[in-house]
Amino acid sequence: MTAAQLFYIINILIYAGVDIIACLGLSQQFGVAGVTNFGYIIFQAAGAYAAAILSMPRDGAFGGFQSYIGGLNLPFPLPWIGGALAGAVVALPFTFLVGRRLRGDFAAVGLLVTAVMFNLLVTDYRPLFNGSAGLSLVPAPLQSTFNPQGQGYQWAYAAGAVVLAAGAFWLLRRLTESPYGRSLRAMRENDIVADSLGKNLTSLRMGVLMLGGAFAGLSGAVLVGFINLWAPSAWGYAETIVLFGAVIIGGAGSHRGAVLGAILVPVGFEEATRFIPQFGPPGLVDDLQWVAIGLLVVIFLWLRPQGVLPERRRLAGAAFASGNPESQAQFDRNERAVTSPGPASASPSELAPSIASAATIDDTVNSSPTPIVPVPRGTEFVTPVTSDVVLRADGVRREFGGVTAVAGVTLEVHRGTLTGLIGPNGAGKSTLLAMLAGTLPPSAGVIIYHGRDVTAMPAYQRARLGLVRTFQLASEFKRLTVLENLLAAVPGNRGDSMRGALRGPRYWRQDEAAAVARARALLDRFGLAVHENTYAGDLSGGQRRLVEIMRALMTEPAMLLLDEPMAGVHPALARRIGELLTGLCAEGLTILMVEHELAIMDEFCDPVIVMAEGTVLAEGTMRALRGRPEVVEAYLVG
Amino acid sequence: MTLFLASLGFGLVTASVLAIAAVGFTMQFAVTGVLNLAYGAVMIGSAFVAYSLNQAGVSVWIALLAAAAVGAIGSVALNRGIYTPFQKRGSAPITLVIVSLGMTLIIEFGVQAIVGGTNVSYTMSTGPTLSAGGLQLTAVQLAIIGLSIVLMAAVHVLLTFSKLGKAMRATAANPWLARASGIRTGRVVTVTWALTGALCGIAGTVLGINDGSFGATSADLFLVLILAAVFLGGPGQAYGAMVGAAVIGLATEISAAYITPSYKDVVAFVILLAMLAVRPQGILGVAT
Repeated sequence: MTAAQLFYIINILIYAGVDIIACLGLSQQFGVAGVTNFGYIIFQAAGAYAAAILSMPRDGAFGGFQSYIGGLNLPFPLPWIGGALAGAVVALPFTFLVGRRLRGDFAAVGLLVTAVMFNLLVTDYRPLFNGSAGLSLVPAPLQSTFNPQGQGYQWAYAAGAVVLAAGAFWLLRRLTESPYGRSLRAMRENDIVADSLGKNLTSLRMGVLMLGGAFAGLSGAVLVGFINLWAPSAWGYAETIVLFGAVIIGGAGSHRGAVLGAILVPVGFEEATRFIPQFGPPGLVDDLQWVAIGLLVVIFLWLRPQGVLPERRRLAGAAFASGNPESQAQFDRNERAVTSPGPASASPSELAPSIASAATIDDTVNSSPTPIVPVPRGTEFVTPVTSDVVLRADGVRREFGGVTAVAGVTLEVHRGTLTGLIGPNGAGKSTLLAMLAGTLPPSAGVIIYHGRDVTAMPAYQRARLGLVRTFQLASEFKRLTVLENLLAAVPGNRGDSMRGALRGPRYWRQDEAAAVARARALLDRFGLAVHENTYAGDLSGGQRRLVEIMRALMTEPAMLLLDEPMAGVHPALARRIGELLTGLCAEGLTILMVEHELAIMDEFCDPVIVMAEGTVLAEGTMRALRGRPEVVEAYLVG
Repeated sequence: MTLFLASLGFGLVTASVLAIAAVGFTMQFAVTGVLNLAYGAVMIGSAFVAYSLNQAGVSVWIALLAAAAVGAIGSVALNRGIYTPFQKRGSAPITLVIVSLGMTLIIEFGVQAIVGGTNVSYTMSTGPTLSAGGLQLTAVQLAIIGLSIVLMAAVHVLLTFSKLGKAMRATAANPWLARASGIRTGRVVTVTWALTGALCGIAGTVLGINDGSFGATSADLFLVLILAAVFLGGPGQAYGAMVGAAVIGLATEISAAYITPSYKDVVAFVILLAMLAVRPQGILGVAT
């Protein structure tokens, strides 16, 4: 091989390493956590500029032909570390855009505009990074010791880039295949629900924003050390679309997909077009290349939105395969269960062993039978005087513009009751529930939970105190399996934080095993054991309601707020749910349930609260309520 | 004072161009829920058609009409051919934004492949000048302001007095209910994209004329101004976009006079980020 050919191969390897690191970071944000960061290229630029000014001498050293801040002349590897840090630090303030309850596409537009603006500012303001001409003569790492033009050096550089890419891959895998990664995916599927289950969205998004920023920053640092220059033209907003194209084509949410996408799009595509002979006026081939990138993105989103290597389904037991033959058997069975198309094909013989093995795992992990609802948390707030009032609303109001949805509701829910909440459409039931759960701030009034004022407390914190809601509209995490839906709700898993996940499976395996055992016990009780590895989005409407109730139970709630849990559910199944709920109440759980089906109220709920036009009309047993004319007029007849 | 009046003049012209563009953008969002980021690319594509006709000796008014037609046809094709199929399949709003970015690349660099990478100069004979104190406006600038006022009045009449305008507002508020009430929402959406596309084409052309020169990627920065105006007034709010355009147009040009011209867009950018962070429903929007 000629030296030119070798240099070409080295070049490609380094570009591949750089693009793989960048695409992995973007895939983690966009594919895993559902944060669409159209400003991603800013963070690569930040890393490249940081690495440049950390490694360059003061700007006077070049006779003043370029001007820039810094110039610290730091030795390798400090500039690369600084590049990664710069990416993370620059990403931090953007939490205010993506961390809030802002439509994802609005936040994305904000980031896109930021990318356009930052590029403009750096171009126009020369003292910062030498303006539009950019920085040149950026030192290569260790260039005083080795010769950067030497072939050995260049091979070492390529090896370094590839090793870093492999390390990035390993790190993200470790983070994503953990309870923390599951929380990220739950947030991606439905952030409001994740919030109601106790996930701190702001902190999750901040984490993924900064981690992705660090990856982008590192990729910029590695790149600038090799090409030795960096200018605004290298990081136009459109470069972000190239990376998005790579992640989408490879398979968003799949790390192998991100690697493949990086090799196919930024590396493969741009290299392939390099061999197209230049034709037409200057710049024509470049223009057509951009057109082709746009076409690739649109066509792939249409034909194969999941990408070439789609995110794979996380099978239960995979984390426990080692050292437990029983769970390996379970794992194999599950794989078969997954391939079977639907509930009809699940024969009783398949069903039985799955329940049996769940019990076995239960025994091996936790010698005592797992209680479905452990001792309610939050009991420390109970003062003896407040006796058995779990939740109290006092004069709670909510207006939407000029419309008063809830006009001063005062009510109490007592421990161990299954309290019903009925009322005509528009009575304000769901709005009230949302305020009690913290999904919606009240306009006025006070909410007391276990003797503690929680009026200003966000939903995730209330959930952590054991006050958990479900939603009127189906809200399962569609692309999480049934088992994952349940596991995502478990509080206090040691692996459910970035730090815990980084410490590896051995650190959190025990927590996970206990959670899996508890989830399987619930699945048995609700008769959904065969579906533990089915995507929740593929279940029937009634089964999804069950998943939602089970998921709420997995949070170890002291009190549940259920919004029409039986809507659209077969009457026989609805009765079964009712029986399960009364059973849970007998075990000490408190439930407030909105429901339209009066037969259910008659049979299971006591007391029942009637709402109409935003206020509480009456409260008592259904039998007593049926005897009250104003209730009959407001609801039972009309 | 002279400086202020002079910048006020520029601000009025920028606000006029911006109003035409922002009202079109926000109405597209209102009836279909698409944040069509390819809007700027369509503007420039239409502007090149007007420019070529104009260069070939056709009157500027005919050229404007042609740009409106190109913008209308292009926008309807974009919506019917690309966005609607994605929406019918149930794609998330964020997917549509990514698609619109992909379309931006396709249109923008497609245009650049045809016309080349250098800016074209698009200057009119300036004609007589209106001058009052420091406020100076050329005939062309006055024409742009006048055109914008006429178009805004037309939008107002359309939305308030016509059956079509009511159908558009009903579709924007609740497409399912509108359809159930006997409104042919599909047709309303198509007509909306045609009308907003016409506004888009006109906006692109007057932008080119006002700036004196433009290139295929000129709208990248102007899109920042459009988005700032739209989010300031509240996404989907036609009157909000008019108010937003007035504020952004004046704020950028007046700040350009007192700070430095190269950072005038930063003002719009800061306003946009502040709106997104504090009040994403805009000043005229209602919190949900």
